[in-house]
Amino acid sequence: MEPQLTKRFGLRDSHTLKVSLQTGGYASLKNLFGMKPEQVIEEVKTSGLKGRGGAGFSAGMKWSFVPKNTGKPVYLAVNADEGEPGTFTDRYVLTYDPHLLLEGIICASYAIGCHTAYIYVRGEFLDQIKILERAIEEAEKAKYLGKNIQGSGYDLQVHVHRGAGAYICGEETGLLESLEGKPGKPRIKPPFPAVSGLFGCPTIINNVKTLASVPWIIQNGGKAYAAIGTKDSTGTSVFSLSGHVNQPGYWEMPFGLPMLEFIETYGKGVKGGKLKAVIPGGSSTPVLTPKECETLTLCYESMQSHGTFLGTGGAIILNDQTDMAKILKSMTAFYSEESCGQCTPCREGTAWENRLMKKILDGEATSKELDLMLTIADNMEGHTICAHAAACAMPVRSFIKKFPADFEKYLVKNTTAVPAQIH
Amino acid sequence: MVKITVNGQPMEVPEGTNVLDAALSNRVHLEHFCYHRYLPVAGNCRTCMVEIETPRGRQLTIGCNTHVTEGMVIHTDSPKAKDAQKSALEMLLLDHPLDCPVCDKAGECKLQDQYMQDGRYEFRRSVPRYFKGGKAEDIGKHVMLDQERCVLCSRCIRFLDEIPKTSELGILHRGHEATLDIFPGKRLDNPYSGNVTDVCPVGALTLKEFRFKQRVWFLKKTESVCPGCARGCSITVEQNKGKVYRFMPRENPEINKTWICDEGRFSFDHYQQNRLEAIRLGHQEHSLKDGLKQLAQILSGMNKDEVGAIASPYASLEDNFILKKFFEKRFDPKNLAAPDWTLKGEADQILKLADKSPNQAGLRLLGITTQADNLFARMEKGELKAVLVMQQDPFGREEAKAKKIFAKVKVLVVLSVHKTATVEQGAMAFPVRPFTEKSGTFVNGTSRLQRFRQAIEPTNQDILPASLWISRLAQEMKLEGFPFEDTSSIFNAMTKEVDALKGLTFNSIPCMGKVLSLSTAATEPFQGLNAQPNILGAKP
Repeated sequence: MEPQLTKRFGLRDSHTLKVSLQTGGYASLKNLFGMKPEQVIEEVKTSGLKGRGGAGFSAGMKWSFVPKNTGKPVYLAVNADEGEPGTFTDRYVLTYDPHLLLEGIICASYAIGCHTAYIYVRGEFLDQIKILERAIEEAEKAKYLGKNIQGSGYDLQVHVHRGAGAYICGEETGLLESLEGKPGKPRIKPPFPAVSGLFGCPTIINNVKTLASVPWIIQNGGKAYAAIGTKDSTGTSVFSLSGHVNQPGYWEMPFGLPMLEFIETYGKGVKGGKLKAVIPGGSSTPVLTPKECETLTLCYESMQSHGTFLGTGGAIILNDQTDMAKILKSMTAFYSEESCGQCTPCREGTAWENRLMKKILDGEATSKELDLMLTIADNMEGHTICAHAAACAMPVRSFIKKFPADFEKYLVKNTTAVPAQIH
Repeated sequence: MVKITVNGQPMEVPEGTNVLDAALSNRVHLEHFCYHRYLPVAGNCRTCMVEIETPRGRQLTIGCNTHVTEGMVIHTDSPKAKDAQKSALEMLLLDHPLDCPVCDKAGECKLQDQYMQDGRYEFRRSVPRYFKGGKAEDIGKHVMLDQERCVLCSRCIRFLDEIPKTSELGILHRGHEATLDIFPGKRLDNPYSGNVTDVCPVGALTLKEFRFKQRVWFLKKTESVCPGCARGCSITVEQNKGKVYRFMPRENPEINKTWICDEGRFSFDHYQQNRLEAIRLGHQEHSLKDGLKQLAQILSGMNKDEVGAIASPYASLEDNFILKKFFEKRFDPKNLAAPDWTLKGEADQILKLADKSPNQAGLRLLGITTQADNLFARMEKGELKAVLVMQQDPFGREEAKAKKIFAKVKVLVVLSVHKTATVEQGAMAFPVRPFTEKSGTFVNGTSRLQRFRQAIEPTNQDILPASLWISRLAQEMKLEGFPFEDTSSIFNAMTKEVDALKGLTFNSIPCMGKVLSLSTAATEPFQGLNAQPNILGAKP
């Protein structure tokens, strides 16, 4: 398979326009400007490209939601606020091939009729911001951005916006709020951003890898893209492994590789013990046991049938030396810390889970607290504006249900020994 | 209208209504904190969770941000919806201080009321309480903030953003540490600051003027109208044992939505302070009967054109009507006028109007002129021996002019609520009741007739409403057609004589008031309040 997203990775000065052009960068623009915007959307729909940010929504479908002739400008917001624990692939696209992202931005902007695009970059990505800014400067000089791109009559301005380090700003409407200069509190829907997004105008928000996949589709056609991968998960993506593997890293490959093969061949096997658990796509996705992993493949539909999500494609591998209770404690601490505090179930629920986890680890809890954690998780998921509460509830539920022994060993057996409750 | 089904009950609600409003207006209870009908939807409290039937099965969603559609099937009491509501309530109460015994909101607290109705009761926190923010912070002229009681519904923030547009409050920090606070260097001192305590569903924002004064369940509420300016905001007068503790805005989508200005809100004490208590003839105190008898004797001995009277935009429509009727019967109506001695203030774009009297339009409705130059000329020449001043304060407002025009008036009879400068000048002074102690009507600046009802009894039964006082005087003078029993019978008599009031009775005036077709009335377009239009008459 020819790599689409990582083909320039490893080349010397791959982040420069010169190298990019030498290796076929911006070649899709010729095709692009020969097509009508509706044709571009059709082509992307045909390709079956799904959002790589976690939700896995069809990109072409999303673009087609932009209302026509509203008299308002249309915006493209690029979500480069990669902050999901266990995920580290977008940053390499930004580092090694910023021009591929810019090319994708041009394709998407042209399709939705947008002339101003914003790249919202995670605040910690200082180097990547510099690289992006330099790439935009180069592209503008070479007439790949700005007024009248390559003589096509199409204009596009791209701005880089640096986030201030909040996980929730990676949620699409939280990102828009942050971009507008407000605290990153996700917005209530409807209205959806495609209708009323940034500054009240139609806005499309796409992930870095989603946009970086578009140039290949424009160049080679949606059908060719759809032929790669599986039926419902077309094309390629960058998957990563971290945690207890001998060789952590990221690799571009078509969808559909069995998970265990991924760990064995690419990760060179589990480090320090036997496989205990796999968190398949960033910390928010429900955890899987080795038995479940036997039939698991890296694609949207297989993940769904196993009761989890592909998420960002950043798998965390845990060996049998791992204490799942401790892992969950740090996760609940993370989600409690990063909740925006808007919705009651998330604001109170995430912190409550975290406080209960602390009590469990301190050896002061009984099975009542464990049951309470599950009930709270049920009361958080689907009860809030955005998916942050669910992102906390899913690991809590799956960790406790799939690895009960790790939690039970902390519980106080004799209930009379429990210190009196503090009211 | 849209047909919907709520809990199996078919209902019809106007198009564009949200599910929460649709339920509430049809007496279906549904929990809510952050939703306020006149503020933008925030959807953050997550208590108004309902299940809606869709082709993909039942979907759990919030009621406040979901608009009804034709044929929508809504469940507010399905196990899933109820569980979500209860769970949100449980989480709101999780770290709440539960200091209800010392909280002024107790009794009208949404958290208290809703938890009592739909709570989970069982205490499950099982970890020590998290202390959130400070207690009793002084954040403005009238408002105190108790952060630990706050449920972070953001109503106050949205109010300050939308209505006075001053944005003093915000939620600082995030997640579990999110707290409501005032922005550094700011004070909550805008002229509408008191409203944040009304929109606050819990006791986080309380009024200094009401803190620790009275438990709300002792307060009796009476429908009334704020007499502070020509806007005539709908209010309730809240009293216990004859003492008024607060004025609260009463929902009226046509006038003030659910807001009132601080000036109006805190005027409640004005009607209890510096009151004229005793009937004074010269320097002696008399009983009402005695006073009226003496006055009747004096007036009976005077010619038709020897008596003048000054009507008032501070008095009710009934008071002015009776004064006019009395004058037409016995004296020369050209000696009756309502000179403009009203206070003038500044109008803003929200509620306040420059005219600080409640009933200027009422005078025009009754045909009482504000042109008093001729009357003043006759008084100066000494043609008028007696002048009756009803609820006006010429010596307080324009002393030099008053001294000049009243110099040759032998008998100055003053009807007054307060001990004013004019009372000190008057030969005879009779106390009358303020609007809190009588029933009546005002006509506001947009010619809207509004009714207020008596909230408290006066301390002294010799203190009458001005209208009944005049009616008693007329009786003493043996004039035909008097006396009247109460102010509502005066209103009903008035409807027979005043065209614009035809067909109304005192009790049939709608609680939102009724716009009169007054060609001469001051009509001013209603501005400000860019909130959502009112949809239904339910209590928000």
